[in-house]
Amino acid sequence: MEIKKTAMAGTLESSDVQIMLSQGSDGITFDLVSDVAKQFDDAIKATITAVLALYGVDNAEVKVVDKGALDMVIKARAMTAVQRALDLADEPNWEVM
Amino acid sequence: MADIIRDINLNNPTQRQYWQTFLSELDIDNFNEKELIGIEKIVGLFDGERLVGTGAIAGKVLKYIGVCDRGATSKGARFNQVMTTFENYMATLGRFHHFVFTKPRYIASFKHIGFGVLAESSLGAILEKGLPDVHSFIRQLPQMGNQTSRIAAVVVNANPFTRGHRYLIEKAATENDFVYVFVVAQDVSLFTTAERQMLVSKGVADLKNVVVVSGGDYMVSYLTFPSYFIHDETTVIDYQTTLDARLFKNIIAPARHITRRYVGSEPLSETTAHYNQTLAREFDDSIELTIVPRLNSQRQVVSARAVREAIATDNRQVWTEMVPETTALFISENITALQTRIRKGQKIDGN
Repeated sequence: MEIKKTAMAGTLESSDVQIMLSQGSDGITFDLVSDVAKQFDDAIKATITAVLALYGVDNAEVKVVDKGALDMVIKARAMTAVQRALDLADEPNWEVM
Repeated sequence: MADIIRDINLNNPTQRQYWQTFLSELDIDNFNEKELIGIEKIVGLFDGERLVGTGAIAGKVLKYIGVCDRGATSKGARFNQVMTTFENYMATLGRFHHFVFTKPRYIASFKHIGFGVLAESSLGAILEKGLPDVHSFIRQLPQMGNQTSRIAAVVVNANPFTRGHRYLIEKAATENDFVYVFVVAQDVSLFTTAERQMLVSKGVADLKNVVVVSGGDYMVSYLTFPSYFIHDETTVIDYQTTLDARLFKNIIAPARHITRRYVGSEPLSETTAHYNQTLAREFDDSIELTIVPRLNSQRQVVSARAVREAIATDNRQVWTEMVPETTALFISENITALQTRIRKGQKIDGN
């Protein structure tokens, strides 16, 4: 699936994460800002990449501002962002949960 | 107690006074009309009845961001809450790219929430966040030549394209392998952005080593850089021109191996003369600045402003002397529409 429009989910508040998805042409590319990037950079990217894969998204530009979100929060925000980006916000794909 | 976000309405004198007092305490006290015009939304973060944070949106620009951390649960929490409010508000409008102009000491706070610095000086900084960003802009610029080519750039508003612009670009084309002509994209001039871009393209169509591109969000009129956080009016122009020069020198030019820039000399406008001086100072050894003496027509220095005045007064002879045939044809065909725009209040004495 291709990203239809740029979309965002999440906040900049503590323990949350803000994820923005945009059309890409070169696989999944990340721009990630996080205080815990040193320890969790790979884990955050893996969680988001896995969610994108569930929706069949192979190309996307992903901007992430992490404020120490737990894995399930990252997953939830990523799902919301991708459903918005694919214009599926009104018809969530329950199976991926 | 959790802080609450509410809109602030500047038309309400009490709210306005309260808002200005709050920002003044944070050392932001420039509330002149030029800065306030264009603001579409102001939000306030309230701890009970006490204002503890604020910010404003004007198009793609966030300004008047101020936060007081006194009594907050953690440092930075209020700032993050205000910025989240804006970004989510803009996302609902389909806007995912914005700029912040701020004091250098706040750069770190904005970087922390995903902003990147486009240019900075001791007076101020421009940052951006979101997509499409400056990297997207650079990616869509055509690529000409390689590292060994001599590549020059010219930035024009061309409102409208005159023989003076032609002369400047032609000189650059003769002296270099390739020339990028960046047309300022802000749509605030007598001639629309599409018209200006079209007239430039037609006016240089015969110059095969010249490519005409939009300046996008990155070669805008530096005069529109917000200066709400600068106290001293006389330093505003220095702050604006320095950031413009550094953005070009550090980000745009290296991306396309541009090592030379051509500008017209400026006998008429003090602001533009100042701009040329700043470019010379900032470019230093990395970009060679060529200031080309302005072209004269029979009576006076060729200037787009004189052309606009001639359109307003229906003085065909003056504009015919100053513009190439492509522009003259366009003016003749659209003279009524252009004069109507002026009558409806379009300013012609700016850029």
